[in-house]
Amino acid sequence: MSLEFLNAFKFMKKESFLHNLDPRAKLVLALTYTISALLFNQIIPLLIIFLSLIPLVIFGKILKQWIKSIRGLSFLVLFIIILNTLFLSLSFAIAMIFRICIMVSAFSIFFLTVDPNDLALSLISMKFPYEFAFSFSLAFRFVPTIANEAQNIIDAQQSRGYEMQKKGFINQIKNLFPLLIPLIICSIKRAFNVAEALESRAFGSKKERSYYYTIKFSLKDWIFTIYLILILIIFIFIKIQFSVMPDWLVWRLPV
Amino acid sequence: MITIYISKDLPLIIIENVDYVYPNGTVALKNINLNVHKGEMLGIMGKNGAGKTTLIRTLNGLIRPTSGDIYINNENTNSKSIAELSKNIGLIFQNPSHQLFANSVEDEINFSLKNLYLNKEELQIKTNEILKKFNLDKYRDRSPLNLSGGESKKLAIASIICRAPEILVFDEPTLGQDAREIESFIKLINTEKEKGKTIIIITHNIEFAFEFIPRTILMESGEIIADGPTQNVLNNNFLTERSSLILPQTRQLSLALQKIGFQDINKAVSKNDIIEYLINFLRNKTTSVQEE
Ligand SMILES: Nc1ncnc2c1ncn2[C@@H]1O[C@H](COP(=O)(O)OP(=O)(O)OP(=O)(O)O)[C@@H](O)[C@H]1O
Ligand SMILES: [Mg+2]
Repeated sequence: MSLEFLNAFKFMKKESFLHNLDPRAKLVLALTYTISALLFNQIIPLLIIFLSLIPLVIFGKILKQWIKSIRGLSFLVLFIIILNTLFLSLSFAIAMIFRICIMVSAFSIFFLTVDPNDLALSLISMKFPYEFAFSFSLAFRFVPTIANEAQNIIDAQQSRGYEMQKKGFINQIKNLFPLLIPLIICSIKRAFNVAEALESRAFGSKKERSYYYTIKFSLKDWIFTIYLILILIIFIFIKIQFSVMPDWLVWRLPV
Repeated sequence: MITIYISKDLPLIIIENVDYVYPNGTVALKNINLNVHKGEMLGIMGKNGAGKTTLIRTLNGLIRPTSGDIYINNENTNSKSIAELSKNIGLIFQNPSHQLFANSVEDEINFSLKNLYLNKEELQIKTNEILKKFNLDKYRDRSPLNLSGGESKKLAIASIICRAPEILVFDEPTLGQDAREIESFIKLINTEKEKGKTIIIITHNIEFAFEFIPRTILMESGEIIADGPTQNVLNNNFLTERSSLILPQTRQLSLALQKIGFQDINKAVSKNDIIEYLINFLRNKTTSVQEE
């Protein structure tokens, strides 16, 4: 098994309209899409929201990674289909898949295009305490490291005959221990190491900080944000007026 | 390239024109061709990022070559699962904390054996046997997480060797080990070698390679740039410089002595040989002085 899909959340420096936006504008983007996805549970509206992500992804030059992140969801998708069709209906299951895909895409767009350094800065500008902002961006920075470590753990266990696929739900849960325990222990060890490294560089010794980089919310960020908020308002309006909307919006699968 | 290993038997491991490209586009192996015979001990050396770990990960199917084939025991590995291949090929990675997870040392060994589907009795016998062999029976009930660095490394090795694979592959086993631990590691691989096991060792420890590994391949940027007797490969200044290797001090000494006329020191290869040579030389010298 490969953890390649985690790369779908890894920032890469690129020049694009999305990359050049302020991180806060992109946070608004992620939230707008998440809220919109939560507003509806019918196929058609969710499909429209989902499709509206595609131009963003293409102009943001992150199509490849985005497709990977969607593909990484395939396991979850299967799970949702099975559970929902068993207990509810196939239409609902498909709608829920679109919902998950929209929410994951929204955050994958955010993480793919926000430089972890800018992330800390934007959190500070939103009046979060520096320690919090720093920990957050640090956690962010360690995602690929942990993915790498997880891959090494999977390799090591498979080399002693461990099999990823086991039959039965209980067995599958039990089967996670050989991977999770080493992963947690290694992460705790690393956390201590990082803490020591930070302290030995006098982290937190001064209350007042200066910053090497600055971020600025410019005109294009305002335009983009206002555009997003407008979209959100339209969606909320549709939601409220749902009963008077045309039939095709509430279309369901015949089964 | 120096290849002087000729044998009438078919090699145990045949790697044919193997390329590997990581999904992110990194070309990690380029046209690798390598034969390893049963009972051979092979060293893999090369700079960081040369592709050593990638190469051994292809052996038990953790990654599949992008192109090319790998045959083990004359069977193509591409149709076999990792679980099947790992019965034959035991890969032992550098960091024991990547695999130790059980409640006790005993359970840790049991876990490795369970995957071989032994029955209860066999399992118990084998576990006891291996704990004794590795001097770990006094820790039997201890948590593997409370072992020292050297001990947990030993346990990680034991948890592979208990499965009795025909081929043992180590990724940097001597890293961060003190002299005594390295010594006990050498003892261990010698025992395995005597049993006829084939052993592959990735190492940056040139002194260790020089003394104990008969054949070495040198890798650079995903290619094998040299293959032959360790001493020949590592004596080649051009190659060692390309691979950022520094010759062992004893080798440097013997090269310096050769330059000033001690030609026959070239035959002394290991540290002990050189010490013996020098002792003999000095002894002869003192006796001849006394005779005068
Ligand atoms: N999971 C991965 N994804 C992408 N590239 C990788 C991955 N693992 C290794 N690489 C790259 O492949 C190349 C070979 O790596 P490999 O780990 O095989 O080197 P190595 O010879 O074992 O080095 P070292 O001596 O540092 O252990 C390097 O350029 C490395 O950056
Ligand atoms: Mg390596």
